[in-house]
Amino acid sequence: MKFSLLSKPTELQLEKDASSKYLPVVIAAMVFLASLALIGLFSINSAISDWSGAISGNLTVEIAYDKDGDMEQRTNDTVAFLKKVPGINEVRAISSAEAANLLEPFLGRPDVIESLPLPRLVEVTVDENSALDLLATATQLENTVPGAHLNTHRPWLDKMLLLARSIQFLAAAIMFLISMVTIVIIIFAARTGMVMHHDIIEVLHLIGARDGYIAKQFQDYFARLSLFGAVPGLIIAIIVMQFFNYLASRLEAGLIQPPTMVLEGWLALAMLPLLVAILTTVTVRWIVLSSLKRMM
Amino acid sequence: MIRFENVGMRYSMGPEVLRDINLHLSPGSFHFLTGPTGAGKSSLLKLLALSHRPSRGLLTLFGQEVSHLEREDLPDFRRKIGVVFQEFRLMDHLSAFENVALPLRIANSDEDLIQKNVKELLNWVGLGNQMKARPPTLSGGEKQRVAIARAIINRPQLLIADEPTGSMDPEMGLRLMHLFQELNKLGTTVVIATHDIEMIRRFGHPVMYLEDSTLHTTTPDSYLARFEGM
Repeated sequence: MKFSLLSKPTELQLEKDASSKYLPVVIAAMVFLASLALIGLFSINSAISDWSGAISGNLTVEIAYDKDGDMEQRTNDTVAFLKKVPGINEVRAISSAEAANLLEPFLGRPDVIESLPLPRLVEVTVDENSALDLLATATQLENTVPGAHLNTHRPWLDKMLLLARSIQFLAAAIMFLISMVTIVIIIFAARTGMVMHHDIIEVLHLIGARDGYIAKQFQDYFARLSLFGAVPGLIIAIIVMQFFNYLASRLEAGLIQPPTMVLEGWLALAMLPLLVAILTTVTVRWIVLSSLKRMM
Repeated sequence: MIRFENVGMRYSMGPEVLRDINLHLSPGSFHFLTGPTGAGKSSLLKLLALSHRPSRGLLTLFGQEVSHLEREDLPDFRRKIGVVFQEFRLMDHLSAFENVALPLRIANSDEDLIQKNVKELLNWVGLGNQMKARPPTLSGGEKQRVAIARAIINRPQLLIADEPTGSMDPEMGLRLMHLFQELNKLGTTVVIATHDIEMIRRFGHPVMYLEDSTLHTTTPDSYLARFEGM
């Protein structure tokens, strides 16, 4: 590979070093993993937002069966109460017959089910943009209609959120780990390069080169290597994401959604090669300057 | 211009390779530096070239005590010193012109000035027709002249050469020595490390010789008298 194609020839012929020859391959692998972690991070974020929106948008009120109470009246009271609450778009009571039909696959004949002591259900649709306080509404409803309970799905959603946040934390930790490993590899390659070019570095020093002049040759070369590795790594990761997208969309399962990326996610992915190049530049400059300080 | 006062030098935690060096080089002087192999000639040259710092004592270059120099001041000081290495240390992938131009490029000199000065100097050292040649295609003497041209392109106040004639035939060695003489006449202080007693006899410049890691300064006759009858 000729990395000198995009640069003017320098005194230190770093492109001839065996130590850094395979650095683009390593960087490509690291960027590939980092991209997947980033895609995971943003996809889960997007999924959380979707679940949260879907679950908090569609609620159910459950009115517990009471053999002494008028279930029809309680259902009507519930509907009337909820219709008055600002932020609720739609309230629909599910009739006993409708509920029996829903339960038919599990419990058998609808006419028998209707005679069972089943709770009554009311379907509620909340305006997505409303600032409705679900907990306060649930408490008010319970005080107004005996046995009525607004199911906000909160405990289930909380568990899902915890799981999602844990996976996000793991993805962030993986990215951090990848960054650290990349830095260590770059430090090793830069140090090896310095040892290999010690004589030329000494000549450059003795003819008046400043440390920054020498460091620039290292940092430019390593930044170029990083870009040569990072761009293919990112492209492969995007191809893999699209492949998973295709597989997930074929599952047609509600909860397992294809990885969806928001604009911020795409921007973060696009920035990744640039960030790797910057990280490489800063690391190499730091390591070269600190090594040069040990020389006179 | 250059003063060593009780200077000692060691590499890392090793023993002292130079002990109690006292030396004064006045501007425009010419000195030979000699001594047996391993006596510390290269170490002394490293101190003169600001490649190493003394581990003790005072070393004053161009009126400035070296231990007080900040790291960012070193390049400007080094540009006042020209070094000709024993093994040339040219960059094989650069042409003779580019090798000689390097100190000027590093100092961000004007490109027109670089073109003019480098061509002029390469003509002066007799390599006017070899400007585009790369070091691997040049003979030992030609490489040495490129190395000398690189060392003096910045018009240094001090020129240090480590065994400059060691790898060439006597005639070429002599021509090189005349080149150093001419530079010296232009006001450059010259220090040449050599084992060549014949050269010391022929040119008659003061001799500094290293023995048991310490430096002695003497006249060429006194130094050569040590070898009479051997």
